[in-house]
Amino acid sequence: MTLFKKPVSVKGTLLVLLLPAGIGLMVLAWLVHGLLLDRMAREFVESRLKDEVAFLEHQIRESGGRIDTLQTGDYFQEVFHHSFAIQSPFRTLISPESWTPLLMPLLESGPDGATQVDRRGSADSPSSILAYRASFRIGDTPIVVIVSEDLGALKRSQAELHAWTAIVSILLIVLLVAVIWLGITLSMRPVVTLKAALKRLQDGEISRIAVQAPEEFQPLVQQLNQLLDSLDQRLERSRDALANLSHSVKTPIAATRQILEDTSRPLDAPLRHEMAARLGDIDKQLEAEMRRSRFAGPQVGKSAYPVKQARDLLWMLGRLYPEKSFELSSELMEERRWPLEEHDLNEVLGNLLDNAGKWSEKTVELSLLEEDGRMIMRVEDDGPGVHSESVPSLGVRGLRLDEQTPGHGLGLAIVREITERYGGTLTFDTGARGGLRALIDIPWT
Amino acid sequence: MRLLLVEDDRLLADGLARQLEKAGFSVDITSMVREAVVLGEQEDYRAVVLDLGLPDGSGLEVLKKWRANQINLPVLILTARGDWQDKVNGLKAGADDYLAKPFQTEELIARLNAIVRRSEGRVHSVVKAGRFELDENRQSLKLADGTEHTLTGTEFRLLRCLMSRPRHVFSKEQLMEQLYNLNDSPSENVIEAYIRRLRKLVGPDTIATRRGQGYLFNDTV
Repeated sequence: MTLFKKPVSVKGTLLVLLLPAGIGLMVLAWLVHGLLLDRMAREFVESRLKDEVAFLEHQIRESGGRIDTLQTGDYFQEVFHHSFAIQSPFRTLISPESWTPLLMPLLESGPDGATQVDRRGSADSPSSILAYRASFRIGDTPIVVIVSEDLGALKRSQAELHAWTAIVSILLIVLLVAVIWLGITLSMRPVVTLKAALKRLQDGEISRIAVQAPEEFQPLVQQLNQLLDSLDQRLERSRDALANLSHSVKTPIAATRQILEDTSRPLDAPLRHEMAARLGDIDKQLEAEMRRSRFAGPQVGKSAYPVKQARDLLWMLGRLYPEKSFELSSELMEERRWPLEEHDLNEVLGNLLDNAGKWSEKTVELSLLEEDGRMIMRVEDDGPGVHSESVPSLGVRGLRLDEQTPGHGLGLAIVREITERYGGTLTFDTGARGGLRALIDIPWT
Repeated sequence: MRLLLVEDDRLLADGLARQLEKAGFSVDITSMVREAVVLGEQEDYRAVVLDLGLPDGSGLEVLKKWRANQINLPVLILTARGDWQDKVNGLKAGADDYLAKPFQTEELIARLNAIVRRSEGRVHSVVKAGRFELDENRQSLKLADGTEHTLTGTEFRLLRCLMSRPRHVFSKEQLMEQLYNLNDSPSENVIEAYIRRLRKLVGPDTIATRRGQGYLFNDTV
């Protein structure tokens, strides 16, 4: 696309591309038509002249070479519509007379067959003729016969035909432009409606695009609507989170400040303890809301390298718990990507592994696998495990932080929330060594 | 026990210093990246508590400079950002432990004692074979071009075993002893999977297969 640097619009590009192509092809067709017309006319004339020469020759032979006896004059003119010349040693016959200067040299010498003769002639003789010459002998008499046709007249009628073709071609081009224009305009109509819908969206008249878009634009509209959905969701979530946060944070702040402002009240040990507990609450709420608001959920154009991220996390936990071994079991390639947001995957794996690390005796094992289009992450430890009756409450949202099992607290709730956001499930059971086994199963979207 | 506290919040630094001194540390405080780098290089500290958000830069820069200059004192990172990636980055930069603010002083002191204890008698122990360097303390593999790869427990043990005796053939049974997993009967396929993964790191020819015998580390490649 070096010809046009930057197409301004689809319409413009199509026109710029289709119009010259259409015109060029028409001109080419017109030129080819001219050439073919020329050749065909000439061949046709040539073959007719040849036939007539053969007829004349036949006539002359019939009459035994005596040209005088030939029924010349009107007869030939009527039969042939052509001028002719016959020469024998005794007599030269040229009809019409005015063509003599043209035909005379050819009679005297010249190749047999078709020849074109050009000469600036007088007013009543043409300037260009096509002549067919034949020489033969009857007995001992050499005879030359020429039949010729005025090329000028032929060319004139040809030119007229050619001109008409040009006019028709131009009409066709105009028609073509109209059809192209119509086609482009018609096929661009959905874009115009789309544009209008976007404008209305921007102005807030509509909240989603409900346009019957053609097949090519359907994904675009869908993506746009999805994007709008996720924007709405995010806004709603962050509003909720902030409302929750301010509710649970402002009260402890007020209480603490009250105590600090009261200079007459001594800061004794129980009071210090109380204040520290309030600050602890604030921190917990802040942490919970922040971690909830950080995760992204399914997003277009986001993917993560599960093996690479798992390896880093396992290594890090191996450093933090140096006496324990964190293992990865996976057949996935290092370069394999999963359509999860990187931070979300880190949060899921990090929380599960950290939790397992806290409880394990010696070993934590992470398995990453893909099974019929599902992403499966399994974290198993060799710790004491969890009583089967309390398994269902692990990481259940809605339980207050302080009510959740210590050590299996906020982290697992976050993991569950992220998993559900991706349409997956988080389940727990008891592993081979009696430890807790967490299984995450997310469908590939 | 001398300790360097790098923290820019004066209230927190002072409070923390008092508590740490009560716990038996003798504390130096600084809040600047440049000063911290110099102090760490000149003074002989037993441990460092390093805040990441400093007014003239990131605590990670300090850490990277120290580690680049072979200063291996144990470092505990403090930060308000408790992201998993931040933790990974902190440990990759050379930290020994990580604590998110706010924290309880008892926990900080316990963790400090732990990393000090771990670092005692710790020598810079590196297994070298060919173009590769295996850092035992950091459980990581350093390539000739300076890039460092993190290893999981078994990957590290397998590689250490192979690299400890280059060109010696280890049977699958021998290598299996390095394997920790929760499966009671680990199959030989597991070893093969690990070898495949290690080959991705060190190159396909570095770990050679002797059919029917086992594997060897070829340090001449």
